[in-house]
Amino acid sequence: MAAYFVQRLLAVIPVMAVVVTVVFLLIHLIPGDPVSVMLGPDASPAQIEATRRALGLDRPLHEQLFRFYSRVVRGDLGQSYFLDRPVLTAIVERAEPTLVLTFSALLVAVAIGVPAGIVAAAHRGSAWDRLLMLGALLGVCIPGFWLSLNFIYLFAVRLGWLPAAGYTSIMVDPVAAGRYMVLPALSLGFNQSALIARISRSCMLEALHQDYVRTARAKGLSQRAVVYGHAFRNALVPVVTVVGITMAILIGGAVVTEIVFNIPGLGRLIISAILRRDYPVVQGVVLITAAAYVMINLTIDLLYAFIDPRIRYG
Amino acid sequence: MVPVITRRSIVVAAAFLVGMLVPVLAFAQTKGGVLRVGNLGEPPALDAHWTTASITETLTNHIYEGLYSLDASNRPIPMLAEGHTVSKDGLTYTFKLRQGIKFHNGKEMGSDDVVASLTRWGKQSIYGKALFAQVAEMRALDRYTVEFKLKEKSAIVLISLAVPNNFGAIYPKEIAEKFPPEVKVTEYVGTGPFRLAEWKPDQYIRMVRFDDYKSRGEKPNGYGGGKTAYLDEIRWIPVPEVATRVAQVETGELEFADDLNLDAYDRLKKNPHVQTIVSKPYYWLVAVFNKKEGLMTNQKLRQAWQAALDIEPIMKNVAGGHSEFYRMDSSLAPVEISTWHTKLGGLPWNERNKDKAKRLLQEAGYKREPIRFMTTQEYKWMYDFALLTKQQLEDVGFSIDLQVVDWATLVKRRNNSKEYDVFTTGMGAFYDPTHHIYLTPSWPGWTTDEGIAKLQAELARETDPKKRMALWEQQTRQFYEKVPVIRYGDLFGLRAMRTTVKGFNDKTERIRFYNVWLEK
Repeated sequence: MAAYFVQRLLAVIPVMAVVVTVVFLLIHLIPGDPVSVMLGPDASPAQIEATRRALGLDRPLHEQLFRFYSRVVRGDLGQSYFLDRPVLTAIVERAEPTLVLTFSALLVAVAIGVPAGIVAAAHRGSAWDRLLMLGALLGVCIPGFWLSLNFIYLFAVRLGWLPAAGYTSIMVDPVAAGRYMVLPALSLGFNQSALIARISRSCMLEALHQDYVRTARAKGLSQRAVVYGHAFRNALVPVVTVVGITMAILIGGAVVTEIVFNIPGLGRLIISAILRRDYPVVQGVVLITAAAYVMINLTIDLLYAFIDPRIRYG
Repeated sequence: MVPVITRRSIVVAAAFLVGMLVPVLAFAQTKGGVLRVGNLGEPPALDAHWTTASITETLTNHIYEGLYSLDASNRPIPMLAEGHTVSKDGLTYTFKLRQGIKFHNGKEMGSDDVVASLTRWGKQSIYGKALFAQVAEMRALDRYTVEFKLKEKSAIVLISLAVPNNFGAIYPKEIAEKFPPEVKVTEYVGTGPFRLAEWKPDQYIRMVRFDDYKSRGEKPNGYGGGKTAYLDEIRWIPVPEVATRVAQVETGELEFADDLNLDAYDRLKKNPHVQTIVSKPYYWLVAVFNKKEGLMTNQKLRQAWQAALDIEPIMKNVAGGHSEFYRMDSSLAPVEISTWHTKLGGLPWNERNKDKAKRLLQEAGYKREPIRFMTTQEYKWMYDFALLTKQQLEDVGFSIDLQVVDWATLVKRRNNSKEYDVFTTGMGAFYDPTHHIYLTPSWPGWTTDEGIAKLQAELARETDPKKRMALWEQQTRQFYEKVPVIRYGDLFGLRAMRTTVKGFNDKTERIRFYNVWLEK
């Protein structure tokens, strides 16, 4: 077991080395230059060159890559060119808004999607079914940014019920934080609720055609007891899997929502960093994300080995 | 009895009314409140010497001050300087500094701070470098006197010290010497009416009133004169999505929104709580030719481009059909820079002459080789005018390869003469003829024409205002003959503020919030 653990852990090193190299080369090989952006439109080439020298950007790419390796192994992701702070600090600061948004949106997606799927399946072919599935179709089709802007116009500008944009930490002011999060969570969650609704409906339909459901009905149980007590619990497993996938999709989709609703999360951080070629931030965010995926996979592999002793490496 | 209105009674009544009004007006300008300003994004630095970025200019002018500033006519007026004298031969400038001016860290500003700051500025800023090319020596004569000895007579000393962009901000000596010119300052201590309290990237920059600020005695005047910080705090909030900035000023989550899309104008105008502001000057649109290598080194080809253009439809389209947002003008300085605005007739601007363009193309020996025209969609107006230009030019026989890239790529590639023939950008306000960067050999596009360079050098030396104007008119005529860049029309910007914001000066190119207060 210990040998397996060490083997798997060592295998992570080349994976991370490849990730570090690919990320570094990708961002450096696309055209654009952080210094030209930083020094403004009227800066002269001589000024630009001097600042490139000061930041070490005039050095050959392999030298810059080597310096990047040496920093990463020491746990230092470098300093942002624009934000005047270490990249790791910037990432930690932005993690909370993204996580809060993602979980809130997931809550919305599940709260809308699962009941809609159950009702549609329980009333298959009815007006309810058609209406809910039409809603799901719309949810899949409507672009997130369009929905967001319309939510802002309706609920903030016209009705004045909620703030148009912004963010407050739950730790600072939970009520204000909640008010700021309603519209972003709704617009991000609504799209994903469509997917959950459709999956819930098909899983429920499959469950409702099982023998045990027929038996339950034959026993004289009420429709409510059959749907919720028997079919729903069995349909839940694939739905939970989809909810897990949705979580990953939401983290990606949060980028647009963060920009429209002005939420200072990781999505906005990486988009700004790409646009202004803040190399250390782009490298840092991608690296941390990749590392998280690798570590999760490693943990799952190790868990498999723990649960089933027959699983061994090679 | 019929009341008799005598002259005396009118005077008494008027005095009474004035007496009543003065305290009301004084009361109206109350201190307090937080002004939330939505702008496009984060500044790359809060070091005024270091970058020409306009967002840095806007922010840093609240924290720092220079020796001079610009008045309402965009002419230099003293700010941290009390005044200056010039020796008879014009080679020595002696500046007297104001006394008792405190930095935000409590230290009193003196000549050592000025010398250290301007030395740093002279090595980094585009305006500082131009000025210090003419300075033989700068030294502190005493605690409050600084002397400049020039190599030759110069017309640009005061204006260079007064420009608001990339400006000669005075930092404490310790900070100016701690950060080399090419490394941006990260300790923000100035003498301005607001001091930096907190900077949370992508969330806000908080500036609070500097209670020890010593204002000049004059009335507010352009960027200068007396400055009063009525607001407790200015909170600069980066809101990258323009539709969100519009919505937030409508809902009152922002008191001020800068840099808005023109298509929001009609909607905002209908809102009784919002006041729209047409910001002038903003940019004149420009296509910059690569004159170092490639097709556009051919002057005939550049002239053909100029002759073919019908500028008004382009401007109208870029301004979203709103005539309030563009102006047709051939002067290289906008109307607002009245000192340098020219009204010359007979210039080959907006000629709309297809026959002339075709003839020039033939004379240029042009064989429909694709011309690489670089633009970006990050600034919609740039993309729009590039697209319309392409259509007009192809009508007369040009072949335009429109290359749409992101802004970061454009600003990188424009420094490499092998990568393009033309690029789009905008020209903001230049307060002196010598500051027009597109007429210099060092800026992308590389204007190395001897005639243009000669006149620029003369403009830098000549100190007689009338002679300078004559030279500038000559330069303008030469510009339209040699066509280093194409001057389109003036485009204006859109800003919006809540009607509770009072005292805002909408006549300056960039926003300033000293002398601004909030109505309770």
